[in-house]
Amino acid sequence: MKKHFLSLILATSLFFVGISNDLLAQNSSKEPVVKVEGEVLKTLSLSLSDLAKMPHVQATMKNREGKLQEYSGVPIIEILKQAGVTLGKELKGENLTKYMLVRGSDGYEVIFSLAELDPAFTNRVIILADKKDGKPLEDGVGPFRLVVPEENRPARSVLEVSHLIIKFAKE
Amino acid sequence: MLHFVSLINKIKKVRAKDLIVNIESHYKKIILPFVLLAAGIFMAAIDINPQYVDPYKLEYPDYFGNRISIPENNPTTKQGVYLGRMLFYETKLSSNKTISCASCHQQKLAFTDGRAFSLGVDNVPTKRSSMSLANLLWVRNFFWDGRAKGLEEQAKFPLSDPHEMGNYLDKAVIELKKTKEYPILFKEAFGSTEITSEKITKAIAQFERTLISANSHYDQYLRGEYKPSEQELKGMELFMNAPIPEKNIRGADCAQCHGTPKMYMELFHNNGLDAEPKDIGREEFTGAENDKGRFRVATLRNIALTAPYMHDGRFKNLEEVLDHYNEHIALSRTLSITLKNRSNNLNGKNLGLTANEKSNIINFLKMLTDSTFINDPKFSDPHLKRHQ
Ligand code: HEC
Ligand code: HEC
Repeated sequence: MKKHFLSLILATSLFFVGISNDLLAQNSSKEPVVKVEGEVLKTLSLSLSDLAKMPHVQATMKNREGKLQEYSGVPIIEILKQAGVTLGKELKGENLTKYMLVRGSDGYEVIFSLAELDPAFTNRVIILADKKDGKPLEDGVGPFRLVVPEENRPARSVLEVSHLIIKFAKE
Repeated sequence: MLHFVSLINKIKKVRAKDLIVNIESHYKKIILPFVLLAAGIFMAAIDINPQYVDPYKLEYPDYFGNRISIPENNPTTKQGVYLGRMLFYETKLSSNKTISCASCHQQKLAFTDGRAFSLGVDNVPTKRSSMSLANLLWVRNFFWDGRAKGLEEQAKFPLSDPHEMGNYLDKAVIELKKTKEYPILFKEAFGSTEITSEKITKAIAQFERTLISANSHYDQYLRGEYKPSEQELKGMELFMNAPIPEKNIRGADCAQCHGTPKMYMELFHNNGLDAEPKDIGREEFTGAENDKGRFRVATLRNIALTAPYMHDGRFKNLEEVLDHYNEHIALSRTLSITLKNRSNNLNGKNLGLTANEKSNIINFLKMLTDSTFINDPKFSDPHLKRHQ
């Protein structure tokens, strides 16, 4: 009897610890993350430190004035693979009507078809950048930005990326 | 039975054309009546509102595009819109029976109220300034901080707010049931005389979707029906262009945030009102530090009618707004990057527009006033007509 009583107390206190942790997490300001959702096997929520653990490459893009800028970051394809998006051999048939919607935290949105991102289709490597000249990205640009090489306008190189959302194009 | 026959007729009218295309022609004659019969029985059996609601045709120019939001469970109908209009102007929805949506959203002011902060049932000022209700069909995240998804959800806020309408919704439902006209109006719109708070917000949302402003001088110009004055044209150019002093291109770059023919893009920015904002704006909703002092970019449609300006109504007129963008941008970590380091002068510290240029931009902004919209009898108080 006494043993049961003790374990009950233990269980309830664990329960409350759990709740108060959640409350604390809500009150403190949220660490910036990029969420990967939609037609994925696993939704992801990547912070700067998660990204730091992934393979990095360099990518260059033209800024608004047409000057070349070099960034370092993780190829989008690696992030999508981790989320279990249909790529490579699976990117055929109706999966070719899927797209990735990129949203910045200011609400700005652009899309890419999955085939624009997959090395089976293209040699261009689009990255989610977290560094420029070895330094974290400046306010208003980062902490995460998309870098789309070989485009004449930087309009799809979204600033302050907050979401990568995979969807089927519904006509 | 009569009911059933007219139901089938109705289905025939709407669906027959689609069905015929889909059914192979030599089977058509035999199958079609069966399909209609089955559909009729099916609909009668599960009672999908077999009332006779007429779809409301939302008309807007092609250049607005079709990225509109109408939830599947609340199609826009003539009867729903009329009920929504009655409710929008209904003071019985507030605890002291003096406040309706229209108290803070007046048609003649493009559905704002001319105040920095609005007063509701208990005269406690609202936290932020009232917003214009125009072209809401293209808005997805409502309020200055985008905290409400969809018009149906949005309408619950003022109705449930203790200061705005006095959190009276449940009692208002009882009140409306006692009236002669409302049970009938609800039946016409939703198929039964039952009144619920959900139906109230659905009907109001339907009415709000019809508030389309698309006949300003600027619209007429886009359609080739209006010739702008010299000042208006110069103002328009400045509004649209980004400044590039190296190439002698002058601009105010307003369109970067307020652009497209809708004069609205769904973006959230810190437009440099304060270095340390008292109202943290979107941060309060998202919890993200990068959202500090960010607010939804407001529509500039009918902007000459909706003073005072900004989420706290701090600017009395458009001259003050232009002075702000030209000379008083407050630097902070979250200030929008488009407002940092831009000038019409080489190495200039601020935007550097001349007094003349500012006044030209204001002339352009006045082109966005739509007198058809603010005088349209479709949007006016339907209760007034009844009392006359
Ligand atoms: C007491 C004044 C008051 C009343 C009454 C009122 N509103 Fe508002 N309304 C406001 C204010 C203030 C805001 C901006 C609030 C904010 O962003 O926090 C607003 C914002 C809105 C918006 C958002 C527009 C946009 O572009 O995001 C809509 C829609 C709206 N109101 C509809 C209604 C409806 C429908 C009713 C009646 C059910 C109503 N309001 C009653 C003051 C009022
Ligand atoms: C970086 C984006 C951005 C740029 C560029 C910008 N604005 Fe704004 N504008 C906003 C935001 C965000 C608000 C709402 C701010 C608030 O209330 O806190 C706003 C509000 C306004 C309002 C008040 C709207 C209302 O209903 O109260 C006017 C008028 C306006 N802007 C005009 C202009 C003009 C003119 C220009 C060009 C000189 C311009 N804006 C450039 C983001 C921008």
